[in-house]
Amino acid sequence: MAQAAATASALAGPRLISQRQRAWRTFRQNRTAVAGLVLIILIVAVALAAPLLAPADPTAQSIRMRLQAPSWANPLGRDDYGRDILSRVIYGTRVALQVGILSVLLGGAVGTAIGVIAGYFGGRIEAMLMRLVDILLSFPDLITGLLVVAVLGPGLGKLILAIGLTIAPRFARLAHGPTLSVKKRDFVEAARALGVGNGRILRVHILPNVLGELIVLGSLWTASAIRLEASLSFIGLGVPPPTPTWGQMIRDGTIYLTDAPLYAIGPGLALLITVLAFNLVGDGLRDVLDPRSRA
Amino acid sequence: MVFNGLVRYQPGNSAVIEPDLATEIPEPEMTADGKQTWTFQLRQGVMCHPGPQTESYELTADDVVYSLQKSATTERSAYAGEYAGMTFEKVDTYTVRITLDRPLSPTLFLPKVANYSGGFIVCAQAVEAMGDEAFKTHPVGTGPFMFQEYTPQTAIKLVAFDQYFRGAPKLAGVELRFMPDVSSRELGLQAGDLDVAEGLIEAQWVERINASGNLRADVFGVGEVSFLNINITKPPFDNPLVRQAIAYAISRDDHVALFNEPVAEPVYSVVPAQLLPGGLTREEAEERGVLFEQDIEKAKQLLAEAGYPDGFSIDLITSEMPTYRRNYEVLQAELAEIGIQVNLNVVAHATMHEQIRQDVNPIVIYVAWRPNADAFLTRFFHSDSIIMTGKAPDTNFSHYDKIDDLIEQARYETDPDRQEELWKQANEQVLRDVAAYPLLFTNQVYARSTAVDYGHELVSSLALYPQITELTTINR
Repeated sequence: MAQAAATASALAGPRLISQRQRAWRTFRQNRTAVAGLVLIILIVAVALAAPLLAPADPTAQSIRMRLQAPSWANPLGRDDYGRDILSRVIYGTRVALQVGILSVLLGGAVGTAIGVIAGYFGGRIEAMLMRLVDILLSFPDLITGLLVVAVLGPGLGKLILAIGLTIAPRFARLAHGPTLSVKKRDFVEAARALGVGNGRILRVHILPNVLGELIVLGSLWTASAIRLEASLSFIGLGVPPPTPTWGQMIRDGTIYLTDAPLYAIGPGLALLITVLAFNLVGDGLRDVLDPRSRA
Repeated sequence: MVFNGLVRYQPGNSAVIEPDLATEIPEPEMTADGKQTWTFQLRQGVMCHPGPQTESYELTADDVVYSLQKSATTERSAYAGEYAGMTFEKVDTYTVRITLDRPLSPTLFLPKVANYSGGFIVCAQAVEAMGDEAFKTHPVGTGPFMFQEYTPQTAIKLVAFDQYFRGAPKLAGVELRFMPDVSSRELGLQAGDLDVAEGLIEAQWVERINASGNLRADVFGVGEVSFLNINITKPPFDNPLVRQAIAYAISRDDHVALFNEPVAEPVYSVVPAQLLPGGLTREEAEERGVLFEQDIEKAKQLLAEAGYPDGFSIDLITSEMPTYRRNYEVLQAELAEIGIQVNLNVVAHATMHEQIRQDVNPIVIYVAWRPNADAFLTRFFHSDSIIMTGKAPDTNFSHYDKIDDLIEQARYETDPDRQEELWKQANEQVLRDVAAYPLLFTNQVYARSTAVDYGHELVSSLALYPQITELTTINR
């Protein structure tokens, strides 16, 4: 935690611009991280251009052609409703990214707020908030997600909320530590002595100094959120049909693993590549921000 | 396997009823006061399995009367309604007389005393010694296999009962394992851990199993009918034009293709004509003008006529089970064609069953088998069975109340031909009002090792799984 705080404060100084440039240089030197970034850009492009890329309407059924083998028209074959699997994988990217990014933004915002407020104010507020976080952390992710979905019911928005709430405590825990050390630093003391309000201190002095670590966590958790969405869909708690999602496709495809292997393998690969890309970028960012790994 | 009935469905062919504990199927007699009596002669020397607190003893009329009375008692049986207006008496040690307040045709009476649900004959001394609760997890009967052990959610073990009245079973025992996942069942079969396993209700699966040398997949009845129930009281479905539009939007062939023949077959009335008297064949449905073949243009026109030229949107829930979910998802696409948007939520199977009984779905797809046309029509379309508000709420999801007379008239018709025609009329009326729309009929699929010989040809089984009898063998 001490290193993290040091990194963060170093970032906040007047040499911010050159720090950023140096960070980008470090990141660029990490080839796998760059590969991850390129992949993410590609994946986002696929999601945005889905209607142009998909050879067919992902929800158009033609039951009499169900489970047809791959052909030029349907490179991954057709699913059990006779829908084009490739189109569904392409459109599935949209759900994956929406869930991955929005739930992390939501969980990150809520979690960071909790962690920073707890760390800054201390005392009873801290004890209360952080014990709550500890309780939430003691549940495995899938269980928390499952509980929330079970209570809220199905739907894309609710799924994002569920995963966001699952992720929030991790951000709270990570934001809490650095806040504790940053708030004791001279510039915070100085600001307080000058009569700057709590809100402004939190916004201007504390938050920017703890953000670095959180961005790393964010990119790593984007990968996990996508995985979690797939897991929830896999156990039937995901987005309602006919919206294509990878988890749902893998679940349905496993029944036909011997008859139409690409039904499960197609979305499986897409999931693998996406999760890998976000993890690579996350690792790259960690290297940039961790002074110990700096050459 | 554990119990017998007075009569039984022939193993492997449930269309035939033959004597079981009775020596023959009796002819009914009429009494002077308009009641009907059926007198059964029992086989001699039928032995009960030894129970946890009882010795093996010979089954007599006392046990038969006790069992049927137990089935007729609401507190002790879920089937009590089936036995209302019936009295059971012992004439002598091997003779039982059943008196019916209102006469029934053999089609409706014999299933009540057959080896299914309420017709199972239990060993009275064992039940009395153990109590009803303990008996549920340790059944004692007269069948070829006797209960040995039950591990909840894992397995039931049965062992051969050598004194079985049709002769000692050829198998030493049967172990029934609970394995909800079809892939693990298939692997179990291939590895030789299992001899028989429930398969996937899908033609492709059957083909694949049959392609592997040492396994055979059997497709057999009785199957289940999948059909739509439309709530005729809930706007906009209270408008008959809307219901007709829905019927014309559906492609029956597509729903059949979801599972593929021979596993799935089309049906033209909720009572499947393939297996039960009283159902409508394709020709009969066409003749009576209730075939409703897909016609999207006509459907759109009907919907516009009803005042919904731009369609409307509804929320439906479905079970996650493929037999339900697939039909709902195809219906979703079909209705989208005519502008009706269906927001479909997938829920756990038990949740769906609970919710549809609370009127959550204006359109309920139900998958069911009932042993005769009367049970189908009464439970799904008699006003007493209307969910929530009926006198005895059951599964009348469509809130339909227009064939009560026909159902009751048919029930007490003792001439089988006239009874069949009344049932057909009832089916026709349900379809004319589009309270229901029959989609398809799915057979059962079980795979077995080629070493397994059931000891009978497998055409249909009321239990929905192949019967293991004293004649079943495994030859490795």
